[in-house]
Amino acid sequence: MSDSALNAMKSRRPNFAGAGQVFGVLGVLILICVVASFVAPQFMTSYNMTIISRELAFIGMVAIGQGILLLLGDIDVSIGAIAGLAGIVCTKLLVDVEVDPIFAITAGLIVGAMAGAVNGTIITFFNLNSLVVTIGMLSVYSGLNLWITKGRTIVGLSPEVTFLGGGSFFGLPLPMYFMLAAFVVILFVTTKTIYGRRLYAVGNSREAAKIVGINEKRVRITAYAIAGALAGLAGMLLCFRLVSAQASMGQSWLLPSIAAPVIGGIATTGGIGTIWGALIGAAIIAVIGNVIVLGGVNVYLQQVVTGLIVVVAVAFDAISRRMRQD
Amino acid sequence: MSLLEARSITKTFPGVVALDAVDLTFERGEVHCIVGENGAGKSTLVKTLTGIYKPDGGTLHHDGKERPAIGYVPQELNLFDHMTVAENMFLPLGHSGSDTFLFHRREIEKSAVPFMERLKMTCAPNDCVRDISVAEKQLLQIARALASNSSDIIILDEPTASLTKSEIERLFVIIEELQASGVAIVFITHRLDEVMRLHSVVSVLRNGKVVGNSDGERVSEAWIVEKMTGKDMDLSNLYRPRTERGARVVRVEGLSGDGFEDISFDLHQGEVLGFAGLVGAGRSEILQTLFGIRKKRTGLAWFRDERWNFGKPPWSIARGIIYLPEERKSHGIFPHLSVRQNIGVGLLRDIAQGGIVRDGRERELAKSIIGDYQVKTASAETKIMNLSGGNQQKVLIGRSLMAQPNVMIFDEPTRGIDVNAKDEIYQLMQKIAEEQGIAIVLVSSEIEELIKCSNRVLSIYDGRINDEISGDDLTEERLLSSIINAPTQTGAQASIKEENHV
Repeated sequence: MSDSALNAMKSRRPNFAGAGQVFGVLGVLILICVVASFVAPQFMTSYNMTIISRELAFIGMVAIGQGILLLLGDIDVSIGAIAGLAGIVCTKLLVDVEVDPIFAITAGLIVGAMAGAVNGTIITFFNLNSLVVTIGMLSVYSGLNLWITKGRTIVGLSPEVTFLGGGSFFGLPLPMYFMLAAFVVILFVTTKTIYGRRLYAVGNSREAAKIVGINEKRVRITAYAIAGALAGLAGMLLCFRLVSAQASMGQSWLLPSIAAPVIGGIATTGGIGTIWGALIGAAIIAVIGNVIVLGGVNVYLQQVVTGLIVVVAVAFDAISRRMRQD
Repeated sequence: MSLLEARSITKTFPGVVALDAVDLTFERGEVHCIVGENGAGKSTLVKTLTGIYKPDGGTLHHDGKERPAIGYVPQELNLFDHMTVAENMFLPLGHSGSDTFLFHRREIEKSAVPFMERLKMTCAPNDCVRDISVAEKQLLQIARALASNSSDIIILDEPTASLTKSEIERLFVIIEELQASGVAIVFITHRLDEVMRLHSVVSVLRNGKVVGNSDGERVSEAWIVEKMTGKDMDLSNLYRPRTERGARVVRVEGLSGDGFEDISFDLHQGEVLGFAGLVGAGRSEILQTLFGIRKKRTGLAWFRDERWNFGKPPWSIARGIIYLPEERKSHGIFPHLSVRQNIGVGLLRDIAQGGIVRDGRERELAKSIIGDYQVKTASAETKIMNLSGGNQQKVLIGRSLMAQPNVMIFDEPTRGIDVNAKDEIYQLMQKIAEEQGIAIVLVSSEIEELIKCSNRVLSIYDGRINDEISGDDLTEERLLSSIINAPTQTGAQASIKEENHV
């Protein structure tokens, strides 16, 4: 092997800060799977894997979107409500207006992106705290969902679209393919494009980004729109899977959407981690949720256990980060 | 016997002797002014006196049985804006015999009154601090120092910086009354007229040494300036560009904004134009406004023949105007990105094609910058936060030069950088001005740095241009006098000022 080839190999180090941590988190995921398969023999069955991957498909999409925002030091807690809004609008268009499915799905994606962009615009133009603004917008979008549905469940989706949410291909649920496609695209955008570099720069230091001429507001608003569109996609697929739409959809996605990227090494302060982390973090959450059920934990205690695991994981991450720095 | 006596206090930090065998005495009922340039050791002295730093050598002696209580009034207002005057005075509460559990508002407001009367404060004890004037806030800080430990010594760190003339006079009357009641006042300032006004003992610090002590004699402003400048500046190595300066690239006329008024100057190719002034004089604000990250109020500027588009950094960058910020850690680097990525972020148009970053091109650029500027780093993939300050600065300079700039604004480029790296940065500035004809603006608090590197220096005092000095006139004495607005012995500055007014 020539010297230059050798050097090229050596320089294939992790691209972004926190990338090395992904391997650690991947190790944790594998460990959990190994332990689970001993504790619960039914864990490693293909039926169970389908269940896990269906869960992972949905929380993966919202986690990837939230991951982009966390990389910027931003957050959007209205992401579940945005998912619901996109799903409801899409379902309403299909059932009541009977538009072309392609049109309805595009409309849903646009609704999601717009809802995210509205959040981002309010936050950046008035220089407000993203947590507070999106808590407010969570109420706005949830309210819209109730108003549009009048609190009722919308039914009557045709099989033409419902197979997108409920169907499988080579044993994997179709939403899983959508999620993996979104992951590949977002991974490429964040690591290989100009926009991705600007995203990491703004996440590291807004001031320094301004000084090199980056329009930090535009970068941030775009990220809110991307996160909104991904949430919208997840929301629509959930409607297709449930063959209906209702106002409360997506509400349970808030915790995993934030916890998954954080478990995967994306710091809430911005600029650290990769989208890989959001994916693997989401997988860990999906697997743990499944193991709790298989392990026969009291139904009413499941939330307690999931919440505790998230807090422990985050604390563990913070402590190990500090120890590495010392 | 004296109230407090510092005997050969020495304090060193890695690479610097901040205090070098300092002897000072503080007497009851005396005002003791400490003067010195930025970096002369004033703040280290204060921190050693108040016990924040432990001296490496020397001792603090006192005549009484107990160590005299020292109250420190910092330069920046350090108050809780949304609490009352009385609460601010007695926080953290719960001491000096008050109830340790319940909070009695009336009681602390009553106990605040004597202190407020003593300092002739006009606000009420239950006023919210947010609503009182800056002068009252300054007095409140003094009141707090008196209230918290009935201080024998009060250290005032540049207390007049944000006060008006009449407020300053009021403060001085109060200082005299405190003095008469036996309190020792340590007064840290840059303003020589105040030193004169206070009839005080004066000690001059320079490079961590006490180089002048008035010993009770009255002193003149000229004496203080002479002591402050000293004779020990090593000017054997000058880094001023030696080539003839070129065409004018920037013209600024009557620029005003937050912290500065009516600034006009020209900047030419291939010259180093220094901006001198005290911290807070408005130097950085002027250049940040020109670059576009601050808002201007009035004024015009031109880049070559083009009218300046204020408030838009991308406009400035497109014309090759680059700003290297003073706060390198928070405003310059992207801490968690690698050296390579830090370089790439500033050159995205050069390393990308169709919106996609070409890693290979970025790696090449990083490699050549690391090689050309001898950046000491384990590899191009090291996080930039793990590099030393000097090497971070070299990466930022190298990245800027890759973009072939026309104007580079260096804001305190050597702050927190060790001596050898400083020289490298000076050489680099000289080289790029001479060889590439880049126009350089150097904002610095270090007089030595400005004299060594600049062809011309504008000295800023209170947000205005106080003097323009170039060539052989660029001496330490002349520059220092204009920075602190003191008359020079030669009167050269006065005559220049008159010329400007004609």
